[in-house]
Amino acid sequence: MSGERTQEDPASSSGCSESYEFSHAAAKAAVAQVCESVGYEHFKDPALESLAGFALQYILQLGKTATSFANLTGRSHCNVFDIILALEDLTGNGDEGVSSESCSLGRSVKLREIIDFVNSSEEIPFSQPLPRFPVALSDRSKKMIPSFVEIGETPPGNHIPLWLPAFPDPHTYKETPMWIERASDPRGDKIEQARQRRKAERALLSLQRKLVCKISSGNRVWGDMDGVKEEIRGDEAELPSVSPSLSGEKVESLNRDALSVVEAFAPAMEAARDGFCNEVHTEWKKKKPVALSKLRSEKKFLGEPLDLSLQMKGENRPISFVRDEDRDDKRRRAEFILRQCMENPVDLNQL
Amino acid sequence: MNHGQQSGEAKHEDDAALTEFLASLMDYTPTIPDDLVEHFLAKSGFQCPDVRLIRLVAVATQKFVADVASDALQHCKARPAPVVKDKKQQKDKRLVLTMDDLSKALREYGVNVKHPEYFADSPSTGMDPATREE
Repeated sequence: MSGERTQEDPASSSGCSESYEFSHAAAKAAVAQVCESVGYEHFKDPALESLAGFALQYILQLGKTATSFANLTGRSHCNVFDIILALEDLTGNGDEGVSSESCSLGRSVKLREIIDFVNSSEEIPFSQPLPRFPVALSDRSKKMIPSFVEIGETPPGNHIPLWLPAFPDPHTYKETPMWIERASDPRGDKIEQARQRRKAERALLSLQRKLVCKISSGNRVWGDMDGVKEEIRGDEAELPSVSPSLSGEKVESLNRDALSVVEAFAPAMEAARDGFCNEVHTEWKKKKPVALSKLRSEKKFLGEPLDLSLQMKGENRPISFVRDEDRDDKRRRAEFILRQCMENPVDLNQL
Repeated sequence: MNHGQQSGEAKHEDDAALTEFLASLMDYTPTIPDDLVEHFLAKSGFQCPDVRLIRLVAVATQKFVADVASDALQHCKARPAPVVKDKKQQKDKRLVLTMDDLSKALREYGVNVKHPEYFADSPSTGMDPATREE
């Protein structure tokens, strides 16, 4: 060893603390194994750490000296003689000195010692598998940008040499439009569109037809009852306000003309009595729930005019006893029909 | 001339022995792993693609550590056993690598790792025992 040397701070000698910790821990384990082979059973931590530090310093010193010997002779790569010379340099045999002959095996005391050591001592491989060192210690390789040569690009411009890092790809700094790769089939789209339209039209048509059918059937009831109503009020002074004009789709007009609704309603009740109700029921049952809203509105009509009819009865018409009984009967039957009708939409709903 | 020839022959022998030794190094696996040694050699500027040379350095370091440890062990054994008259303890010294033994062993290698004394009760505390007598 060259002179006295105080223990250097290991962290300062190596630049990166991460690499230092890992390598130092590995060295500590190796040194502990060597000491174990010598005969030690236990170690004190500061002693083991300092010994490991010394071992690493020994390696570093060897490398430095060997490199300097190689550089002296104009080489960059070291060979075995450089190492032997470095070993001789580190032993500190001052009297013998380093001569040209000592680089051979015969003269080199140190080398002979090492050879003896190799021959005599038993092999103690490192206990744990060590990961590949440069990968663990330096992540420079990950961050390094490949040069133009490495990626096979020609630099843009003659003034840029090939060994420099390559430029980033243009998509990293240029904004290009997104191109969604989807097979567009305009004809197919049109066909699909037309089909959907046709479907909607069909549905609308069927709905309309059903409504018309319902209304027409209703009108039929009204229409038939026209005659019946006239028959009933034959000798009354009032004009039958239920005119053929009611035929058709004037359900809205019923709303406006309360009287006409009343007049229209009476024949309906008569028709119900005669059994038309069944027909109406079946018709109702045939219809889809789509027409239910119409039924509900009709239910409203059914509900209201009944009261009106009672009122009308009270106000306008002269009450004849014979008629009263009939009317009571009719009223009861009407109520019964009403109840049934109210239940029916519910059933249709449940359908 | 003769001397030159002799030395030439000796060199040939030496070279042969050297190559033989280097070949034998490949069989011998040093305790210090190759990767570790290579890393530290690279730190100092040592550049060599040959594995045998790295093994040589590893073996040299191992020898160095073994020498130091054996010297420390000698010091440890040389110390008188703790005087404890216990039936269990009968000169059963625990072989522990301590800073004390290590510093004594490394002194011969020219390395000073002595811890300073905790307190100094005389001017000659901490000095070398050889100079202390003076």
